[in-house]
Amino acid sequence: MSAVSVQAIVGAAPSPIEAPDVDYATISPLLIILGAAVLGVLVEAFVPRAYRFVTQIAVAVVGVVAAFVATVVVGAGLDTVDGEVTGRGGPTAMGSLSVDGPAVVTWAMLLFFGLLGVLLFAERRLDGGLSAFTSQASTPPGSADERHATRLRIEHSEVFPLAMFALGGMMFFASANDLLGMFVALEVLSLPLYLMCGLARRRRLLSQEAAMKYFLLGAFSSAFFLYGIAMVYGYAGSFGLAEISTAVSSQIGGQNLLLAGMALILVGLLFKVAAVPFHAWTPDVYQGAPTPVTAFMAAGTKAAAFVAMLRIFFVAFGGARWDWAPAVWAIAIITMLFGAIASIAQTDVKRMLAYSSIAHAGFLLVGMAGLTSGDGVTSVSAVLFYLVAYGAAAIGAFAVVTLVRDAGGETTHLGRWAGLGKESPVLAVAFTIFLLSFAGIPLTGGFISKWSVFAAAWDGGAWPLVVVGVVASALALFFYIRVVVLLFFAPPQGDGPTVAVPSPLTWSVVAITVAVTIVLGVLPGPLLDLVQQAGAFVR
Amino acid sequence: MTEYTPVLVLAAISGAFAVFSVLIAPLTGPKRYNRAKVDSYECGIEPTPQAAGGGRVPVKYFITAMLFIVFDVEIIFLYPFAVEFDLLGWFGIVEMLLFIATVFVAYVYVWRRGGLEWD
Amino acid sequence: MTVEPFIGLSALLFAIGAIGVLVRRNAIVVFMCVELMLNACNLSFVTFARAHGNLDGQVAAFFVMVVAAAEVVVGLAIIVSIFRTRRSASVDDASLLKL
Repeated sequence: MSAVSVQAIVGAAPSPIEAPDVDYATISPLLIILGAAVLGVLVEAFVPRAYRFVTQIAVAVVGVVAAFVATVVVGAGLDTVDGEVTGRGGPTAMGSLSVDGPAVVTWAMLLFFGLLGVLLFAERRLDGGLSAFTSQASTPPGSADERHATRLRIEHSEVFPLAMFALGGMMFFASANDLLGMFVALEVLSLPLYLMCGLARRRRLLSQEAAMKYFLLGAFSSAFFLYGIAMVYGYAGSFGLAEISTAVSSQIGGQNLLLAGMALILVGLLFKVAAVPFHAWTPDVYQGAPTPVTAFMAAGTKAAAFVAMLRIFFVAFGGARWDWAPAVWAIAIITMLFGAIASIAQTDVKRMLAYSSIAHAGFLLVGMAGLTSGDGVTSVSAVLFYLVAYGAAAIGAFAVVTLVRDAGGETTHLGRWAGLGKESPVLAVAFTIFLLSFAGIPLTGGFISKWSVFAAAWDGGAWPLVVVGVVASALALFFYIRVVVLLFFAPPQGDGPTVAVPSPLTWSVVAITVAVTIVLGVLPGPLLDLVQQAGAFVR
Repeated sequence: MTEYTPVLVLAAISGAFAVFSVLIAPLTGPKRYNRAKVDSYECGIEPTPQAAGGGRVPVKYFITAMLFIVFDVEIIFLYPFAVEFDLLGWFGIVEMLLFIATVFVAYVYVWRRGGLEWD
Repeated sequence: MTVEPFIGLSALLFAIGAIGVLVRRNAIVVFMCVELMLNACNLSFVTFARAHGNLDGQVAAFFVMVVAAAEVVVGLAIIVSIFRTRRSASVDDASLLKL
């Protein structure tokens, strides 16, 4: 049918739609990572199997490093925006992305975590020259097909493109400036993680179970998130955070829609950051997933989801803060206490780290509940600092977990870790440093980050949260010290734990994360300056 | 009424084509009957009273169905574009080509890794 | 146009889906309930798009459909792989990770 007759049906002749103005240079880090992911899929399709794994590592590392460089360039070129609060940068791509200070800092942080994750994924010396991922995910565990695939040394090098897609989704999630973009980003980051959880080489039944639980609960929570978006759209008539903010401050329409929407969105995001009572998946998934994936997921998902949560609630719902702040207070309190108390009862190292991650979600919520802006420690800068310190220590701790092994793969029962200090003092000291950082002992990054979120909360008048936070820290400290005593002073069970000799990949991850943890504790100035100069969210 | 004329013309042409095709096929086509041709149609496979192995269907169908769903639904974005492609200009065409190229990457992966082979 | 009946229906569908997720025991049925929840969201989106007189909500429905399809593929792959191992898709049987 010709254009003329289409117009005849439509009636009036419509004017051409103006092409959107997209600043490709500003969003280049995102494009590079997603490009690396697509390139990884092509590598998977065309490169012969013998070279595939190495090629994938090269594509992923080059992609992450290039994106990091691009992020630094973008960050250096952000304009300062003077408004109610100082910010840098602003919306781009028709307002669908906001490349502001916090977004760029989060990109850099996520890319750093992504690089460490890729290094852990690439480790092949621990399991007889094979990666931590199953030979063929489609074969049932223990079947003849699986043994055949293992004998042929088939490997799932798809984990690298999947990790790149997840990383791209996380970066998108942290910088999306409208709710629809956030939903798509949430799924782009979650779907690859669901799959990666089920790919463990050892203990595949646990791994598959973790994948199913994570998937079903994750899909359930993203449905809540989506329904919340629908309610907020019904209230404001737009997905843009700026338009929603305007609607919220002018109090148009029915407040019930807004309240329902905020509550549902909060549920969806609290699930992703593993806050009580939406934490049930965390221990199971952290335990069952391949440990390198757990490391990547623990650091990356938490960072992306927290920044997105802060962006939604500070930018779009900032005018309704007295409606949502009480809920955040309550959840912060129960999350901190539950995480600290439940971790005491754990006998499995990975579950213990999972409960510690839940407790840390609570501390981060304290920073958010402070609602502090302006000069000094703001909520946003405190949370960003906390995320860097926590993510580095978490990746390091899980990297140590990959190294303590017995005949059946990693040995994660805490009792089997007794006497690690004699077997491998270096590793035991590294793990101790991570635990002390989790506990918030001075001279580690954990201390400065706890101090900054508590300071932000105190300035914002949330002193009851600070009191509960200190109590929860003390509870957790008791447990972490117990583990340290176990590592160094308890008599080993049987012949004690064995420590595998990894390639330089895992060693460098442990070394980098130890260095970051200590540097952030001793010399926090540069990063504190950076996160404070990042300023507030710009809509 | 005049604005509906093209629709009516199109409907008439497509209806006529359908009738024409059905009528012309038995007149012009070769008549080589065999057992498969007189069987009831079941997606190109041998019809069986029950799937082999007690009601379970081979997993190959699952892969095919999943590939169909994902590629079928991806193309949903072509609909809004197709409605207003002349208003979007070159920007729209370039963006759509990029989108199709990305979908094609996934297709190439499936093809090279044997997702399209039945046996 | 009155919005309430459509939103009421969508809330009802969402609730049916949510309750289904909580009470059903077969992973496939649980997953179908999640899909029902997503489609309830879609109904809200198009209703509000109509009420506000803009197209954003309709575009959102497109994105949700695509995301839902991707979720189906990932989810069923996980469920099928677990079924081939255990010969069961019940979420109660998947209990190795209990404390």
